[in-house]
Amino acid sequence: MAFQNTPNHIDRQPVVGALFDESNEFVKMFDPPTASPVLPERMTPTNPVPEVMAAVGVGRLPAPANTVHRQLLARLPKPTWDGVKNIQFFVFTDPDLLGGFSAPQYPAATIRVPRGVIFHGQTTGNPPPHTIHWHGIEPTPLNDGVGHCSMEIGSYLYQWQPNFIGTYFYHCHRNTVQHFEFGLFGLLIIEPPDTYFASVVGANFQNQTLPATITLNNIPVGACSDGLRRTAANTTAFPQFPGFISGDPIFGVTGPGGVGVGDPRAFTVPYDVEAIWVLDDRDSIWSDLAPNEFTTFPTHGAIPGDNDQFNNRPGANGFFAFNDFNADYWFVTGVPVPAHKGETETIDPAGAPPRGGGLPGGLIPAALNSGVSGSQIAINATVGQTILVRCLDAAYNKTRITFPVDVVIIAWDGRALGVPPFGRYNHAFLLPANTPITTSTARRFDGLIRATTPVNSFAKVEFLETRGDDITVTARIPIVIS
Amino acid sequence: MKDQKDRLTLNRREFIKFGAGGMAALVVGAKMPWILDNEAFAAAPVQSLNFTITDAIKDMATHNTINPAQCYFWVYKEATLPFEVPGPHIFTTEGTIVNITITNSLEQPHAFFIPGLFDSGPIAPGQTVVKRFGARTAGTYLYYDNLNDPVNRVMGLHGAFIVMPKAPKRGHKFTPYSSPTPGVQALFDDFGTAQWWPGLAWEQGATNPEARPTPPFRQYIWLLHQASPVLFREVGSLPAGEIMESAEFVQKFLHDAFVPTRETNNIPNYFTISGQSGHFAHNTPYICPNLRVGEPCVIRLLNAGLWTHSMHIHANHVYITSIKGVVQENPIWVDVFNIEPLDTVEYVNPYMRPPDVPNERGIGRADAPRTTLNGGPTWPPNEELAMLIPSAPAGLAVQLSPLCYPMHDHSEPSQTSQGGNYNMGMISGMNFIGDRGVAGPGSSFPNQPLIDPPGPGPGVFMPAVPPPWFD
Repeated sequence: MAFQNTPNHIDRQPVVGALFDESNEFVKMFDPPTASPVLPERMTPTNPVPEVMAAVGVGRLPAPANTVHRQLLARLPKPTWDGVKNIQFFVFTDPDLLGGFSAPQYPAATIRVPRGVIFHGQTTGNPPPHTIHWHGIEPTPLNDGVGHCSMEIGSYLYQWQPNFIGTYFYHCHRNTVQHFEFGLFGLLIIEPPDTYFASVVGANFQNQTLPATITLNNIPVGACSDGLRRTAANTTAFPQFPGFISGDPIFGVTGPGGVGVGDPRAFTVPYDVEAIWVLDDRDSIWSDLAPNEFTTFPTHGAIPGDNDQFNNRPGANGFFAFNDFNADYWFVTGVPVPAHKGETETIDPAGAPPRGGGLPGGLIPAALNSGVSGSQIAINATVGQTILVRCLDAAYNKTRITFPVDVVIIAWDGRALGVPPFGRYNHAFLLPANTPITTSTARRFDGLIRATTPVNSFAKVEFLETRGDDITVTARIPIVIS
Repeated sequence: MKDQKDRLTLNRREFIKFGAGGMAALVVGAKMPWILDNEAFAAAPVQSLNFTITDAIKDMATHNTINPAQCYFWVYKEATLPFEVPGPHIFTTEGTIVNITITNSLEQPHAFFIPGLFDSGPIAPGQTVVKRFGARTAGTYLYYDNLNDPVNRVMGLHGAFIVMPKAPKRGHKFTPYSSPTPGVQALFDDFGTAQWWPGLAWEQGATNPEARPTPPFRQYIWLLHQASPVLFREVGSLPAGEIMESAEFVQKFLHDAFVPTRETNNIPNYFTISGQSGHFAHNTPYICPNLRVGEPCVIRLLNAGLWTHSMHIHANHVYITSIKGVVQENPIWVDVFNIEPLDTVEYVNPYMRPPDVPNERGIGRADAPRTTLNGGPTWPPNEELAMLIPSAPAGLAVQLSPLCYPMHDHSEPSQTSQGGNYNMGMISGMNFIGDRGVAGPGSSFPNQPLIDPPGPGPGVFMPAVPPPWFD
């Protein structure tokens, strides 16, 4: 038998059957309702970050209090590094930022939140529909921001309480194949519970209160009450990183016996330098042919399952090819990789003027970093400093990263390895110098570096096709430790 | 029991008729009541497997009266089951001898191969072979046609073969493995015992007052595949005896020149989990778990295709316990994990309360809920569970109960059908139908899913019982 003469047929599952009707859920899957519901189970927010950002001078005082704003979407046409064309980016904006940073930025401003506070994120999709999914944060479905499981906005006040310190991101979950690719994302970092409160005179992290008037002390924004920047880890087996604070060997960050809450810094390790690597790729053909954010949106018909419109809203040239991704431009945290397909190139080192736009090659502005100063892309540190690398693969490629120095991997996806009780089944591990680590879309890892001798080298980042394993481009991120 | 009138308004989360949306499964060998009691598998016991290698045309997820969406496949057709691609899930127990008969009714040689367990060798057109093999080691296996690799496999000749262990390690609870690592064994030992994992052990079922029973050994199979209607039609149209060289097939499937309009080049257009996409995968309790907080489950992923997928699950991080048959020494706890062609990966999903719902201490434990401005608890989220969206009760409203979360490939080109139609691709999920840690009505949220098991009639459930080899 063959294609021409097979008598065999496999029917699609019914949407409406003799004893059931699932047309509501069928429709909701690809054509979710746009809604602006009132937040259920509403609490009073306690996130101190917007107030501290205002005190630092990078943001307006939030209204209402303790609330983060994100608008979507804004368009940001960016010239490619080689000047060949403009690529259309879709981005989130933060209307509360000062100093011109409320203008469209790629990637969007990093959101930092201390563990345990009540986070409120006020969002409007303009024009709708959109959502925000807080990737790795695990709240109720309405606050998870996935249209077919709840609704698309409209406008909505998202609410959650981060329970685990680590590296996350946020992105629009509507037509994700296009909106995530076009840049609708930003990094989301959960900090130790006393951060931000620790930088404010008269604040109390235990009951999560700020005084009526914010006066900053001399603890750097983003640092814990001991003045050190910290993140979750269990580095007991890696004593080369000083300042690690342990906790209960069975119950982790609680008090003994699993009761109460222990030291807010339990199972954290200090770091001196933070590097943020958001690895991304763009297909400029998608940008050329599908610049409208509503390309290829299906709509339901009068009889769901029978006459739904699945060939709706093609882009230019009849574009209906979101299954066919072919990267031709690459970025590291918004900094272009000045390479064409198959080439190897180095991104701008710290302090160099940017080529082709984007963030400066070195430092991330405090306004785009929840008030935290000094975070790097290309690394510039000194011997004996502890360097934390937070790496997100935001590409539709796999990435293979090779460091010139030993790295200790302390966390994946916002879950610190080896931290009891949930991490008692796993452990932090050494990634020896020149040993590749492979990751894939949306995975995050946190790694620690501490060099004992000077380094003047690169991390090699190979972007690998998910269709086959071909290397599309090799980016080199400078690592200078002097 | 709901009466017939109520039935007419039920939706898929509440009602799945056996055979209409289920992934057919077979159990070989010794009686395995634990699986016959698991509504997620419409499993029928057989003493031997009887396959015909044939073909079929399948209507894909976006197929309807105004939009043809079909694909040609080669099919492992089991004698007792309808045509479907992939082939049926097959379950057996470590040590079972499996009898298998395979007939090739296609026009080129084919085979049936399970890495490390069985190799039929080439079966000529029209030939029948009768073989037997032993299921030696517990684990997740892809069975497939390994001839003209990878063409015959990717054309549809593949399925999942699951071997369960015979017994747990002495003094320990069951894991899915013959030889678990200490970390994986500790995880399974802690479920239902440790303070931070309240609820059931994996091996433990429950009879639930006023709700259907919870099966023991909860497990789900996510068999990933990509389908190219243009290329599969070309291969299926070759003259008898001719084959497409694998290099040509791979080149066309992975790297065919970009064409903006849909279904005109050889790039895959359909992305399936156990043969289903979009709604038909996510809202099918045979594929998407519907469990309570405190009912941990195992998810077995297999990749029969040629793309790498990066599977992201919402609402819970999962422990990676096995990759390519290697039980992990360091089971990391993640929300995304990549699965490459021919890989098998096993997750353990703890089914903990979504940890970032506000709670007393905010450190990820099963703490008391916080109090909302309305005076209610943050968990169970009763206000949210009662919501209808759109808010009008008529029309297309869906109640936000049970709590619905997706699992999808984050390498998002696979989230499409026919080149667009977002969310009709490779997606499953996890739903919460209650919380074992909440007393009274909160233990079961509204709209309990009801899956008719194979058996005498709709809505009749056997009680969950442990397997016979469990002491």
